[in-house]
Amino acid sequence: MTKTMHVTATPHWLCDNSHVAGRRARFNSAAAVTLLMCLAICSSATVEAGFREQAKRIHDRIAGVPPSQPVLDAMEDELSNNQPLAAADIAIANPSFYNVTLKNLVTPWTNGDFDAFAPLNDYTATIIGMVRDDADFREILTANTVYVGNLNHTSMAGVPPYSNTNNEHYKAMEINGADLSDAAVLRAEFQSSIIGTPVAATAGVMTTRAAAKAFFIDGTNRAMFRFTLLNHLCNDMEQVKDTTRPSDRIRQDISRSPGGDSRLFLNNCVGCHSGMDPMAQAFAYYDFVNTDDAGTNGFMQYISAVVDPKYHINSANFKQGFVTPDDSWSNYWRSGPNAELLGWDPLLAGGGSGAKSMGQELAHSEAFAQCQVKKVFRAVCLRDASEDDRPDFESMVVNFKSSNYNLKRVFADSALYCKGD
Amino acid sequence: MKAAQTANACGKIKAVLHVHWLVTAAMLMVLQACSGGSGSDPTENPAGPFGSSKVTYTGPDPQTADIQSFRISVWENLRSAERCGGCHNAGGQSPGFARSDDINLAYNAANSVVNLEIPSASRMVTKVAEGHNCWQGNDAGAVAACANIVEGYVANWANAALGGAAKVIQLTPPPIKNAGASKNLPAAAPAQFTAIHNLLATHCASCHTSDAAVPQTPYFAGDDIEESWQLSKSKLSLDEYLCATATPLSDAQSRFVVRLRDQFHNCWSGGCESDALEMHNAVEGLACSISATQPDSGLVISKAMRLPDGIPANSGGRHEASVIALYEFQTGSGTTAFDTSGVAPEINLTLSGQTEWVGGWGIRITDGKAQGSTSDSKKLHDLITATGEYSIEAWVAPANVTQGDAEDPARIISYSAGTSDRNFTLGQNMYNYEFLNRSNTTDANGIPALATNDDDEDLQATLQHVVVTYNPVDGRRVYVNGVYTEDIDPVDGGIIADWNDTYALVLGNEVSSDRLWQGVIRLAAIHNRALTAAQIQQNFATGVGEKFFLLFNVDELTDVRESYVVFEVSQFDSYSYLFSEPFYVGLDANATAASIPLQGMRIGINGREAIVGQSFANLNTAISTSASSTSQPLSSLGTVIGLEKGPEADEFFLSFERLGNNSNAPQTTLPAPVQVRLDGSLSSAIGVRTFDEISATMAAITGISIANNPSLLSTYIDIKQALPSVENIETFLSSHQMAVTQLAIGYCDELIEADTGFFGSVDFAATLPENERNRVIDPLIDAVLGTNVTTQPSFNTTATEMDALYDRLCPFNECTADQTSPASKGVCAAILGSAAMLVQ
Repeated sequence: MTKTMHVTATPHWLCDNSHVAGRRARFNSAAAVTLLMCLAICSSATVEAGFREQAKRIHDRIAGVPPSQPVLDAMEDELSNNQPLAAADIAIANPSFYNVTLKNLVTPWTNGDFDAFAPLNDYTATIIGMVRDDADFREILTANTVYVGNLNHTSMAGVPPYSNTNNEHYKAMEINGADLSDAAVLRAEFQSSIIGTPVAATAGVMTTRAAAKAFFIDGTNRAMFRFTLLNHLCNDMEQVKDTTRPSDRIRQDISRSPGGDSRLFLNNCVGCHSGMDPMAQAFAYYDFVNTDDAGTNGFMQYISAVVDPKYHINSANFKQGFVTPDDSWSNYWRSGPNAELLGWDPLLAGGGSGAKSMGQELAHSEAFAQCQVKKVFRAVCLRDASEDDRPDFESMVVNFKSSNYNLKRVFADSALYCKGD
Repeated sequence: MKAAQTANACGKIKAVLHVHWLVTAAMLMVLQACSGGSGSDPTENPAGPFGSSKVTYTGPDPQTADIQSFRISVWENLRSAERCGGCHNAGGQSPGFARSDDINLAYNAANSVVNLEIPSASRMVTKVAEGHNCWQGNDAGAVAACANIVEGYVANWANAALGGAAKVIQLTPPPIKNAGASKNLPAAAPAQFTAIHNLLATHCASCHTSDAAVPQTPYFAGDDIEESWQLSKSKLSLDEYLCATATPLSDAQSRFVVRLRDQFHNCWSGGCESDALEMHNAVEGLACSISATQPDSGLVISKAMRLPDGIPANSGGRHEASVIALYEFQTGSGTTAFDTSGVAPEINLTLSGQTEWVGGWGIRITDGKAQGSTSDSKKLHDLITATGEYSIEAWVAPANVTQGDAEDPARIISYSAGTSDRNFTLGQNMYNYEFLNRSNTTDANGIPALATNDDDEDLQATLQHVVVTYNPVDGRRVYVNGVYTEDIDPVDGGIIADWNDTYALVLGNEVSSDRLWQGVIRLAAIHNRALTAAQIQQNFATGVGEKFFLLFNVDELTDVRESYVVFEVSQFDSYSYLFSEPFYVGLDANATAASIPLQGMRIGINGREAIVGQSFANLNTAISTSASSTSQPLSSLGTVIGLEKGPEADEFFLSFERLGNNSNAPQTTLPAPVQVRLDGSLSSAIGVRTFDEISATMAAITGISIANNPSLLSTYIDIKQALPSVENIETFLSSHQMAVTQLAIGYCDELIEADTGFFGSVDFAATLPENERNRVIDPLIDAVLGTNVTTQPSFNTTATEMDALYDRLCPFNECTADQTSPASKGVCAAILGSAAMLVQ
């Protein structure tokens, strides 16, 4: 905040608005007052909060926008009547919870650059829709579901239909200001119907077009696993590196002696690839096919029982490496330190075929549940949870599970925890 | 070596094994070996006889084809006075295999000193290997090179003489020994190493340090004791020291001791035995400070093997009929990399700068080069211009994919005079191989270069087989890992008549030392023919480095006599072994295996299972053999296992979760998850709204729908990424505030222009008296601050600020009709873009 004090002149572009041409001097003054008020208000933020102030913060954090007077009154009443979840539910009911808060939480997960400014897409819309409809959040990695706009709705004028090959449908919805909280605007469809992916090959957001464009494009499909692990289990490869797992499923393209020095492989590469490669094998039949040179348009390709050639590239790097024969996957991290770190579901087999069952393996882990709470906590409390927060954090995880993995409950719990004293 | 094995392959068939694995593994290599293996077609070799003191042969013609083969392959290469003809001539020292008067008599004499089944076992080879009259020099490296060359000559003869029968590598029972206790060297230098280091630093530093006048690798004699420890590990052998009683000097196997005791290598006191004893005592001190590691008694394990116990597994099969310079880097020490092509004059390369030998044969170039003399290098000019075509072949592991520039690559192999004059260069430009060749269609620098396609990224920082070929018809071609890259030479092939014969062959740099290439070269060869695709594929399939079959006895586990699990093992690089393609074999055809379960096989090293690289831990199969099929492949995979003591000392064994009726299954219970990491820290309880939140908040306050206002939407899209993207208040910048203000102006402009009723009946086209400003100010404050929210600024304070702003915008108290609207927009924007809106 203090940096704003140093601004003494208004940039030229600030005054480019055609409605205010010729009044530059006045708006310089306006900006200066804005800054002064900013400082004044920041200094007042330490005032102790009552129910009303807590209600405002809860609403701000959940919906991203301030409450209207009646809403604030209602939330204050609920808090004062010791009905905190009811107060939070009022904020959750605000459309901005879906159109702003959830969208901005999810959008960075949908691209490799973690770009929060990326346009709305089917990955984001699907998670928003599933949260809105109280879906078991674990199904985001398994479901045969994609949320699309209802073209018959009045807010969808000019919006093109969903396309496998571009994102225009969602971009137009965003520009139109389509209300994603409205079930009449955004509705669930089967991926198998809309995208054409076989039912068995659908795996929630991992098999949306946006995810495919980001993580199945080029490469070796390991990116889909890495980013899913990162975005939904809150662990990057560095955190799960375990050199003690069997190395039999590491593909041929991984050099066992990078630059002629096998220590690099033995101390580093094997740590990630021994666990990642047998998991990423689940994506063996997927690819993203570009249909233009710019890389904007293209579609996810799934060919049943045909291993994509990308799984066999650079096969001479280590001829004795693993040659992918199918899309069967195994979770080698069910043994070793990652068994404790990630907490796998003992009711699952730890192996299978295809992305759907592998997505289930990830989604049913303890780390998945913890990760959702971590992310929501950060979004709502505006900071990462610390050791001081552990008891409440763990309660939030318990509540998340007992609510049938309803993410709204995590928002409510987090906002109530951070509502202020 | 490979030539010898080819001869073995294509020679007498021992046929002791008719095993399935031969079909799946070895046979393939053998067929390739016999399809034109090392020196298989000597008549193609234009190298011919060389030697300055060799007279023209005028004796009788060879009586048989075999004698003719002997003549071409061996006799012409050895009969010069500099080699063997000076002594083993007519009337000279027996046997007279180098006599120049009668090729048939020379042939008879040669037969007494060759073994065409196993060329490496020929007395002609072993005698030279013992140091007998090596024309390359007297040091160990030179002697090994001479022996290697002679072995190649004999192998070529054997290959031609014995024809193309399939090779069978005879698997014979190795010595049976239990996996014993092993003293493993710790990762960091123990205190007891100090005594050894002191001896090294005192007596060996004049050579074995990087800053010595003539540096000799390994640099174990430097001041840095940790570096010395790492480099000394492979020179130490500790298991012979029992420590209960003093170990005699004669039992010591450490290289440091052996070099002094047996090879009298630079003894410092004048008495090698006393120096060896001093080193032996220091090693004993270290050995007795380390406890032996015993294999876990619960393990189900095989018998043990070391690499020297293995059976050589190199199948031969390289196509070397036209090779004119060959570097296999087998010497492993010293500063000379010998040309073992057998084609004189040998272009031996001098290693300089930061270069080091790599385990498993090879050199690593860090900041140096390996260069031959211009006089010896003239051989390349002479032999290549004679054919008008050539190939450069190498097994390389580039250190990175960032070195080199287009048409000025980092030099891998070059025959040149500097950065602007060359005959040829194989180089690296990041992910591309580049091939520069001087011809009448290129300039004197070989430009334009032939480069592999950027998008293909053919060059990878891993061990690769690369061959570039040139002939006038096809021009230049590049093959990587046996595959033609399909990159087209940008110019016609032309002719290479203008080559300069004063250039030098150099590896890893330009002769002017200013185009460094970093990486490992494990083999380099120059051929004076453009190799065919099949020949290149053949050489790629043959691989590089020395390989062994290790036979791990499992009799006691399978209850089958002479039963083994066999691995092909080689030293992969300086830091690891490659274990590949295991198979089961029963050497007693009368003892067959019937559905013996084998599960979870792991590789043990020096008394314990290797921690990293257990690629067979998930193996789950059953072994069944019969009298006619005594072997069974177990896996097509390979793995690398970290090197510990060195290839001479490391002892391996196999352990099994289950083999036969013996089992040691690991526990599979899932552990309880550990607590989630919560690594946040105390930070501000408040933050700023982010981009969409800001716009949505302004929309909520003003009631303006951005979607219905194209101008406002356009403004938002333009400035969206200038708004805050994270809530952290400490990252808020002045530029963020400017964007917030601009958006606020947009919303306020629409709010006032649209006349939505937000301000009641205020007419913004009319005058606004001072006492009516509150009609604008109050609704704004209520909407932005909320009512009765004590964490927000006070109503009155805010109103005063806004009123003061009106004072400045409407200096005569009353806003005139043309001032009301813009002044009110400014007042509106001041609060809408303020922290009261922004902070959450």
